[in-house]
Amino acid sequence: MKDLLHTPEGVRDIYSREYAEKREIERRMESAFTRFGYEGLQTPSFEFFDIFNQERGSVASRDMFKFFDREGNTLVLRPDMTPSIARSAAKYVREEDLPAKFCYIGNTFVNNSRYQGRLKEITQAGAELIGDGSCDADAEILAMVVEALVGCGLKEFQVDVGQVEFFNGLVEAAGLSPETEEELRKRVEAKNFFSVEDFLNEQNLSEELTNAFLALPHLFGNIDILSEAEALTDHPRCRAAIRRLRDLYELCRLYGVENYISFDLGMLGKYQYYTGIIFRVFTYGSGEALGGGGRYDKLMQQFGRKAPAVGFAISIDQLMLAQSRQHLFVYAPLCREFLYYNETGRKAALAFSREMRAQNLALRLFFEPGSEETLIERAKAKKRQNPEADVFYCSGEKPERMTL
Amino acid sequence: MRYLTIALAKGRLAKQTMEMLEKIGIFCEEMKDEKTRKLIFTNEELKLRFFLAKATDVPTYVEYGAADIGFVGKDTILEEGRNLYEVLDLGFGKCRMCVCGPESAREKLQNHELIRVASKYPAIARDYFYNVKHQTVEIIKLNGSVELAPIVGLSEVIVDIVETGSTLRENGLVVLEEVCPLSARMVVNQVSMKMENERIRRLIEQMRELIRKENA
Repeated sequence: MKDLLHTPEGVRDIYSREYAEKREIERRMESAFTRFGYEGLQTPSFEFFDIFNQERGSVASRDMFKFFDREGNTLVLRPDMTPSIARSAAKYVREEDLPAKFCYIGNTFVNNSRYQGRLKEITQAGAELIGDGSCDADAEILAMVVEALVGCGLKEFQVDVGQVEFFNGLVEAAGLSPETEEELRKRVEAKNFFSVEDFLNEQNLSEELTNAFLALPHLFGNIDILSEAEALTDHPRCRAAIRRLRDLYELCRLYGVENYISFDLGMLGKYQYYTGIIFRVFTYGSGEALGGGGRYDKLMQQFGRKAPAVGFAISIDQLMLAQSRQHLFVYAPLCREFLYYNETGRKAALAFSREMRAQNLALRLFFEPGSEETLIERAKAKKRQNPEADVFYCSGEKPERMTL
Repeated sequence: MRYLTIALAKGRLAKQTMEMLEKIGIFCEEMKDEKTRKLIFTNEELKLRFFLAKATDVPTYVEYGAADIGFVGKDTILEEGRNLYEVLDLGFGKCRMCVCGPESAREKLQNHELIRVASKYPAIARDYFYNVKHQTVEIIKLNGSVELAPIVGLSEVIVDIVETGSTLRENGLVVLEEVCPLSARMVVNQVSMKMENERIRRLIEQMRELIRKENA
């Protein structure tokens, strides 16, 4: 039999420089969350299937990795973090401790075999703010997204913000059935301008509503689109949605992140999941959103706790892909100090290495039994491979620096 | 300014698309040279790049952002089911996706019998029979000359594109049911739409205006 060395499709090894960079990005992300006072939370890699069922998660049942425990319960590898955090918060956070602020970094698993070249295991970093339904909470989350990404060295990116209540208001005014609404939602979400038009021609809606729905897929861009949207309807729910976005923009100015904010009222997400703002993060070079989030005030309720919630998740893998395509270098220290020693140099070499560690410096040891000549040979080869590294060898009283 | 990359489905569709683009002042002379072996064509002035790809690959290039914009038939978009913005119906290449077969097969479509369906478009066929007709069928994927399948008894019916229907007629087949109308479409990568909002929107507006004028 041939040796089995490769990984299954969709998962991979991360090593050397890439590993160092990934850890560095995770560290910077976490540090941004911590500076906002968020507490880390770790949930299990697999949970009961019901935690991620249709209303709670963002991934379809057939795209989850499922297996069974000894009692026959269906378990899944978490496809998404938010429901786990919500469950955990519903269990541990006391009413008087709300609002609660959590952040996490962890791997998620989606079994999506159709898309070759797409990873099935990705690392997500994110945060959830539970128990605060205010616009200030929305703004805090957006500001944190921006600061975390800037902290990772990303320069050109956009946080594109929508507000599902605008669409919901129009649907309410039009009195659409749930099936009709779902069909329209799909077409608006796909910015399928002409099929929205076809669809509306079949409905008997007032001119005002038809025009408003028609405009919806076009309503994206900078803050000016909010005025355009306002002119389309005076339904109170829609007006409230726009007002909320304006307030949000003002708060983003106070946070100093308004340059990264854009708007898209045609962004709707999955059926009924989001209840307020919804957003996605875009940048050059990744082809898809780096991540996103929004407000889901009905989620906690499903775990027996009524509390509003807003949060987001960023895919570290997508972020790294975008950064490498944009040639943004993340400084990630790799070990650049090497020491070769043999039996006669052991005592001095180990003393030297202890000293280095005590100064918090990294040094990689290589034990090379034998003569001084082989030792020098090895050290020389290493130095040739890594000219910028510090290579030492030690076969006597003290380590010598290798020069070529 | 960054390059905007445009993927075109090889063949007639690419030619007709380029003709439309020329009418709004977007030219690519390099591309007209039939003998060229180049894969990528550029318009330096407008910072545009074009490439030709097999139709079924165009949605893939656009979904992953390797191309910002794609021009491709609705049949391919439906079959591939990618995450894209489908922003414009170009109005040419009009035809229909149909269920076809010998007249005798018409009855089998009514009785919810288990029948065999041959198609180059298994995803479209599956979606139509399962989700629209709620009929259990066996789908056989073929790669060409699908009309042959009912004649030699590989399947009862086929799901295929019908333009004039002459191939069907010559082989004693008829259109039994229409699945959906088709035409050429413009698709846009979801990130590009946001990051290059202004340029892409202007292009869409210009194309839309042109189509409106030509239809009037």
